[in-house]
Amino acid sequence: MSNNLSHLDALENNSIFIIREAYSQFRNVAILWSIGKDSTTLLWLVRKAFFGQIPFPVLHIDTTYKFPEIYDFREKYAKEWGLNLLVTKNEEALAAGMGPDKSKFQCCNDLKTVALKQAIAKYKFNALYLGIRRDEHGIRAKERVFSPRDEDFEWDYKNQPPELWDQYKTKATEEEHLRVHPLLGWREIDIWEYTKRENIPVNDLYYAKDGKRYRSIGCHTCCGPIDSNAGTVDEIITELANTDISERSGRAQDKEDDYMMQKLRSLGYM
Amino acid sequence: MAENRNIIVGLDGVPFGMIKDFTESGVMPNTSKLLNDSVLTPMYSTVPEISSVAWSSIITGANPAEHGIFGFIDLHPNSYKMRFPNFNDLRAATFWENCEGPSVIVNVPSTYPVRSMNGVHVSGFVSIDYEKSVYPESLVSTLKGLEYRLDVDSMLAHKSMDVFLDDLDRTVDARISSIQTFWDQCKWQNFMFVFTGTDRLMHFLWDAYDDKGHKYHRKFLEYFSKIDAAIGRIIDLSENSDSVILLSDHGFEKLDHDVFVSKILAEEGFLHFNPSEESSLQNIGPKTKAFALDPARIYLNRKDKYPCGSVEEKDANEILNQLEELFSSLEIDGRKVIKHIFKKEDVYEGPYFKDAPDLVLIGDTGFNLKATTAGKSRFGKGIFTGKHTYHDAFLAVKSKNRNISFDKQPSVIDAGKLIRSLTK
Repeated sequence: MSNNLSHLDALENNSIFIIREAYSQFRNVAILWSIGKDSTTLLWLVRKAFFGQIPFPVLHIDTTYKFPEIYDFREKYAKEWGLNLLVTKNEEALAAGMGPDKSKFQCCNDLKTVALKQAIAKYKFNALYLGIRRDEHGIRAKERVFSPRDEDFEWDYKNQPPELWDQYKTKATEEEHLRVHPLLGWREIDIWEYTKRENIPVNDLYYAKDGKRYRSIGCHTCCGPIDSNAGTVDEIITELANTDISERSGRAQDKEDDYMMQKLRSLGYM
Repeated sequence: MAENRNIIVGLDGVPFGMIKDFTESGVMPNTSKLLNDSVLTPMYSTVPEISSVAWSSIITGANPAEHGIFGFIDLHPNSYKMRFPNFNDLRAATFWENCEGPSVIVNVPSTYPVRSMNGVHVSGFVSIDYEKSVYPESLVSTLKGLEYRLDVDSMLAHKSMDVFLDDLDRTVDARISSIQTFWDQCKWQNFMFVFTGTDRLMHFLWDAYDDKGHKYHRKFLEYFSKIDAAIGRIIDLSENSDSVILLSDHGFEKLDHDVFVSKILAEEGFLHFNPSEESSLQNIGPKTKAFALDPARIYLNRKDKYPCGSVEEKDANEILNQLEELFSSLEIDGRKVIKHIFKKEDVYEGPYFKDAPDLVLIGDTGFNLKATTAGKSRFGKGIFTGKHTYHDAFLAVKSKNRNISFDKQPSVIDAGKLIRSLTK
């Protein structure tokens, strides 16, 4: 890669290369769009990679507990960008009353993981693009750009192909599907600087209102806002340059607490 | 050969009476040999008598008001929102952080998430994320290779006792393999591990211990034999100069009745919930004078401490007296329900005294106190057949270097101080 490229150009080039490489290997692919800032940035890059016309479906796993602003954003841009949008839900679990009030762990598993499994089984996707980044969580540091999942969806992080010098293993066995992570090397601040440069649409939830804003969005039942006065992309960039609090700290703690509660309940506490 | 090595083995919840029984009846022959060379004494637990508080005292030698852990559950400051204190909330240094030599620490409750230390640390109950339970992180793959599990899945016992017992076995087998691996491969001065499956087994199957005709009686004994074999192996491998401490954090006994402390507080007018909302701590009403956290820690709803606080400092003593009177006279079928009522100032001393409960109740024989607000009546009985006790944990110490004796029954805090003095 040329040293003359800016940091954002280099990230963009690399991501577009990965996106095209994956599509050349796996035709039956889809991009997961959670409608947060990362997957929307990924969608932007995919649009660029294919000159505005994405040749595969855009999959949204709908837990039905997303913020209303997320649904509005989805409808608006699916139409504006001409997306082949597939919305999938775990109808069975929802009909049985699954929700975060039961157990946040169980809810995430049933309404996200199981719903995704159902979609993969239904549409027979053999690769999925996801907008995860290494700096989101310690465990994601171990991720690969082309990351195999077995038939049970398990990620065996001890048994992954190395990706030295950006040489990717883009083959999967029949039982596996590949997760493709074109944004793996991006940082949260890169996403925002790129959003600014490209003028990518941003969900209003990310902007501060009454001293609070969402740094990470998903289900309204499980996301908490942070204290912030950042009302523009520039202010968000300044804020991120000056914080050492992890992006998903609120969400992770929530899940740990929920698991803790389950463990204590099993022994008669609470 | 290293000098002044210390081996500390924890048997979570094993009462003095049971260790005597099993070592005398041949269920635990290796432990029996160890006890022949040791000073053995019954021991008091902490107040309250639960693992998070007691093990925190054992590893620090500190009073709960010094280490800051009063239970598995606490409240956020100036709030009724629950939080779960963990190792990051422990305010006193552990013995392994206070000594120069390396330590191996495996499965000590309330030591999650792990932090960097001199040696190896695998945290115990409640450990959640594997990566945050193992120090150094490079050992994660070793442990996974040994099929090490952070904890038995106690939820299984609510569905199938056979499946639970199988899980209990697999968990302890992997735990023993990890201990052997660390023993063989690590350099250490202090080696501490805790068997926590004992507590789970006694919660669900105390009746199988009591009743020789019980379907799981043999299984109950076999589990302890397995632990005894592991203790025997460690003793065989140890040097004569090593100090060995075997101890539990609280005792156990048969559970006759669950006692729903919050229900009693509500029926007696001390605890009110906002109408039309569920009866949970989050919905405490402004008329509340006192509420409880597990197992039976009672807090006055003080005006300067909680958002709906109603109790003025000048009225605090009178309300505490009323509560003492209420609980000391509580009976079921003519049996006294509460054995001890500890006032804050009776048992707590230290910089976190202000966070301590105002009263802690300890149930009388067979009465298991619970703070859950979900209790439909004052008394009940669930799946559990065993309950914790305060008065009969045990401590056994074998030391060539020290003359060990106890003038009076020690507490787990004394055990922690002893460990501290041996390991520093």
